[in-house]
This record gives sequence, structure tokens and C-alpha cells, in this order.
Amino acid sequence: MAAEVERQVRVETEGAVGWIRLNRPEKMNAIGAITRRQLGDAIKQAERDESVRVVVLTGSGRAFCSGADVTEMAQGGDGGMRTPEDVGNVLRNEYMPMLIRLRTMPKPVIAAMNGPAVGIGASYALACDIRIATPEAYILEAFVNIGLAPDGGVSWLLPRLAGTGVAYEMFFSGKPLSATDAHRLGVINRLVAADKLEAEVRELAGHLAAQPRQAMAAAKRAVNHALESSYEEALEFESYLQEAQAASSEFAEGVQTFLSKRVKK
Amino acid sequence: MAYEHILVEIEAPIATVTLNRPKVLNALSPDLIREVNVALGELDADETVRAVVLTGGPKVFAAGADISDMADRTAVDQLRRDQTGRWAGIAAFAKPLVAAVNGYALGGGCELALMCDLIIAGDTARLGQPEINLGIIPGAGGTQRWPRTVGKYVAMEVMLTGAPVTAERAYELGLVNKVVPAEMTVEIARRTARHLAEKPPLALRMAKEAVLKAFESPLSEGLAGERKSFYFLFSTEDQKEGMHAFLEKRKGVFKGR
Repeated sequence: MAAEVERQVRVETEGAVGWIRLNRPEKMNAIGAITRRQLGDAIKQAERDESVRVVVLTGSGRAFCSGADVTEMAQGGDGGMRTPEDVGNVLRNEYMPMLIRLRTMPKPVIAAMNGPAVGIGASYALACDIRIATPEAYILEAFVNIGLAPDGGVSWLLPRLAGTGVAYEMFFSGKPLSATDAHRLGVINRLVAADKLEAEVRELAGHLAAQPRQAMAAAKRAVNHALESSYEEALEFESYLQEAQAASSEFAEGVQTFLSKRVKK
Repeated sequence: MAYEHILVEIEAPIATVTLNRPKVLNALSPDLIREVNVALGELDADETVRAVVLTGGPKVFAAGADISDMADRTAVDQLRRDQTGRWAGIAAFAKPLVAAVNGYALGGGCELALMCDLIIAGDTARLGQPEINLGIIPGAGGTQRWPRTVGKYVAMEVMLTGAPVTAERAYELGLVNKVVPAEMTVEIARRTARHLAEKPPLALRMAKEAVLKAFESPLSEGLAGERKSFYFLFSTEDQKEGMHAFLEKRKGVFKGR
């Protein structure tokens, strides 16, 4: 037994905001076997912890995440990845549950893109609900450059976020989409100078942490449902969610606050 | 009668039967099944009740049978107590039965849902037959009702792998009627039941019988049965009311006569 496992993912809670920080700056936050396990635990914990109302995913150092640790894979040192089937199994058994959790947990998840998001790293950034990035960041679907196909859900996410044309160009060319272009396309919500990024994310996360929790969870549920259903089905599902929300204390309080503000005017 | 394992609420014209063993995820013990049968028998006889909701409540429908109770039983034990045969009364219930399924409906729980006429699923619902993992197979209709609904290949996948399907997949497969937010499932099933309760009870009964007959008989027999029921309904007061209400552009009021 190793006395202490290296902390490749740091988890810090600031108020009601859970920060999950990839912490291998010397490797541009590449994800290896240990990182996967720690990241999986951190995401699961962030989902379960009721005191965490907003989650931020970010990287330390210059990169957000440079993708799978290819060196570790090539050396056969990555816990599970020796055969092609292992590669598939890691995607199905380890990455899939984590990425689904990010997209479905009943609280906002913000990617603070402090630098490049590459390969599976881009998959994490794109699986978040909101992306805020420094102008130096970029998104790179590097898979094709080493003879691989897109994974981590980007074949589903990127066409929806950027359109099929942009997605194909990225998947085929293996060239980066700059943060400014991604911002123009709406893939990145805001561009913020590197030295101001954390403050800006902290401010947004703090604002969301004070918003009605259940109403935000309902919005996320509605969007996830709508992405897989027809307009009619989405309208009907919304109507039921709205009934549940209209019966909540959040709505009762919201209306009271709204009315009291109007009276003061 | 007083029940130990279920709750029965009658709000005429509907009733709600709630499986109520939350500590064991509504595991379907023989006693619970017996109570469901007795309750449905009484509700069938109660003329004020015109449709029934069957649910496991907000968290789970029913996560299968009591494994602890079955692990060391012999074939003869099982045959003698005819655990699965006792469900016949549920499948034979003559009024509309609406399942409200949240969370797991596994094994016997799934088979119980499949015996209902309509299934409203919460977005948390997971339906499946994991019996294979215990060295057995479904014993209350799973191997027969799944293929009749979703076809051979999906049924095989579900039976052979034991992996459950999500609410969304169940909807795509035509296994559930509607997927709704889980906190609304029981309420929407009740509304569905109330909506059905306004319809002519005898026609509902004949329609239900005719559709169920489609799973049992060759087409010619099913068509013959359908025709007889169709003609029979012209002998009811509800048919006269229904057609005259339609002609007079008002809503029919039905008595089940």
C-alpha cells in the first residue's frame, strides 16, 4: 500500500461553491488512471453534497486539461489501458458515468477554462453547463492527429454547441478552435483575462449559489429532456415541471419578494 | 379491510393502491401480493370506483421479490405456495388500472407494472428483469408480456442480460405511455384515472377485454369477440347517453348501465 496517493485532483469548497481542480500542472493536467479515479470521486461527491450548490471545474497552471495521458498509455502504465478493449472499457466504465453526472447533476456546473482543453479535456469542458475562458484557451479535438476518433461525448455535444460544420472541421483537421472563435460561436459564454478569470467565475458561481436551487435544477432537467424529445413532448414535460415548481416554497417566496419590491416603489 | 403492506385511498371515482414497504424498496412478498389482490377485488366490486392507480410512491415502484425469503426454498416449496400464480387476480382486474412508476420496477415489480393498462413513468424510472443474475427467470409474466410489447430482440436483451431500461428508452419502445418529472408521476396517473373515470364503464371494460384478448387469441377469434362486445354495448344505457350527448353537443354522463 502506498502511504499517500498523489493528489491529482484538488477539491475545495468556498461557501456553497465546490471547486474541482485538475492538479497536474507539470503534465498540463493530463488525465491518467489516478486522475480518473480522483476526478470521478470528486464529481460524485460534488453531486451528493447538498451544501454544494454550484460546481466549478478548472485546471491548475497553464492548461485546463491536455487530455488523456498518452505517455502513460503508451508505456502501459495506465492502470486499465493495455489493449484496445481496455481503451473502450475505460471510456464506458470510467469516463461515461462521470460525464453523464456532470450533465445531469441537479446543480449548475461551470467550466473555468484557464487554458487549452484538449481531447478528453475538451469533452469535460463541453459537458459543463457554462464555459468561461481566458483568451489564451482553445478547444482541440486532437484525436485524429494520433489516429483516433472523437470520444467523451463530443460527437454529440459539439454539433449541438457549434453546428456540424464546425464540429467536422475540428474532428477532421485536428486544429484548435480558439477561445475567441468559440466565444463568437456561443460555445464559450464569456472571455475573461487570465488574471481575472477566477474572480469572474467566483462571482458568477456565487450569484448562482444564491438563486433558487430547485428552479435551476428543473431548468437543467428540462433542457436535458428537451434535447432528446420533440417540441410537443418538451412543452408537456415543461408544464409538469412548472406545476411542481409552482407548488414549491421557492415560488411562494419568489412571488412575495417580487410583490414587496413593487409595493416599495 | 385493514392492510399491512399497502395503502388504499378511495377518492371516488378513483382509487389509489400504494405499495408500502419502503424499507425494503417495496419488495413483493407473498403477503403484499395477497393484499393487492384482495384490494383490487374490493375495488372491482365497488361501483363508486371507476379507475385505479397502482404505485410504489415517489421513490421506487418495486425492486423485485423478497430474495432473503426465497434463497433457500425448494421447487416444491415454490410450487406449493404458487407465488406467481397468485397474481392472476391483478391481471384480471376489469377496470382501468394505471401504473405510476418511479425509480426501480425490477423483476416482479416490473411484471406488476406490465399487468396494468397504462404506465405513467417518472423520469427516474428503470424497468427490467434482473432474475437471470440470480439463476432464475421471471415468473410472473415477464418473458411473455415483454415480447408482446417490445418484440423478440429487445425482450431477449432484457431477459438475458438482466440490465434495466431507462424511462426514456421504455417510452421509445412503447413500454410506457408517458415520461413525466418523477415528483408529478402519481398526480398525473391520478388525473389519467380521473379522465378515464368519466368514460362509460361498460365500454371501458369491453375495450380492455378486447385488447387483452388480442394477446391471447388468433385474429379471427379476437375480431369475433370484438364484434360481439360492440353489439352488446348497444344494449346499454351508456351507449344511448353517449350517442345522444354527442348529437346534442353536450358531455355524456355515464352510469355503467
